[in-house]
Amino acid sequence: MNSKCKEIESLLSAYLENELSPAESAHVARHLTDCPPCRELKEKLEEILLQLSDLQEEVPFFLKNRLYNIPEISEKKESGKFIYLPKWLAAAAGTIILFLNLFYFTNIFPSVNREMHAWVGSVESFVVQTGGWIEKIKESKDLLLFTFFNKKSEDNKDEKMNSDFNLNHVISKGGKNG
Amino acid sequence: MLINDYSKAVYNIALNFFADRDIAADVTQDIFLKVYHNIDKFKEERNFTAWLFTISRNYCIDYWRKNKKYFLSNQELDDKISAHDQTPEEHSVRESEVVELRKKIAQLEPELRVILILRDIQDLSYQEIAAKFSIPEGTVKSRINRARLKLAQSFAGVEQ
Repeated sequence: MNSKCKEIESLLSAYLENELSPAESAHVARHLTDCPPCRELKEKLEEILLQLSDLQEEVPFFLKNRLYNIPEISEKKESGKFIYLPKWLAAAAGTIILFLNLFYFTNIFPSVNREMHAWVGSVESFVVQTGGWIEKIKESKDLLLFTFFNKKSEDNKDEKMNSDFNLNHVISKGGKNG
Repeated sequence: MLINDYSKAVYNIALNFFADRDIAADVTQDIFLKVYHNIDKFKEERNFTAWLFTISRNYCIDYWRKNKKYFLSNQELDDKISAHDQTPEEHSVRESEVVELRKKIAQLEPELRVILILRDIQDLSYQEIAAKFSIPEGTVKSRINRARLKLAQSFAGVEQ
């Protein structure tokens, strides 16, 4: 392939689409009559262009259905994000929970079982203590509000709405105080 | 509306880009999902088809690059378009020609492939392609010419 052929190659598309000037077009046509390889290439190009224009296909029915359901697919994916865990992490968490149950509810390893019960016991007592502290803090807050601002806390506002309950509450408090 | 108007164009870009109907269906769905999620980013003063075609082109090229090893190892692609996938038209005389042509297109460089599909299969003008991808018209013309020549030479068994 010589440089002349290279030059003609670069003009072939424009030649086939009638986009060349008359002079350029005549120049290409002359070369094509003299050069069989370039002529063959041009014929192949014409054939391919015809075939290409015929390559369009209709969208398959199943795909159209999938496309119409995209909002639903998208919402499912969005909601799925919250519960999504990597597989390895889910497997590891499952295995750990399984072993913890095994150690806690069976006596295969007595020392581990004792340790776990002791640990759970300490957690329970901590929770009970914390609950007690929270109650005490609430009571102190009520007392402070009542002492300095002569008003009841937000929690006690509801009590006003229910006179029966309020009455019982007062009675029970009075009973306690003697 | 959106799906009725544009699904055929997007599906045909994907189908002729990958020469595989299953992949084309998945890619088309992914492209429309992307459009659905990013529709608020689309500015109304822009041309919607240009935006959609840019997303389609970028997605096809990204998908091809991510799975390059797979696609290159399946360069033969002979079995990819299996008999049960074929439409009635393909069962006619030109069946093998269509399959062969898609295989050859799928072997072009991704950038050339997209432009060839838009120009010669989807029948867009040079100006339209240039505007859609914000590239000079001369670049589009030279790429189309290069793609066509490569295609013709691959049929003739000539290495460029």
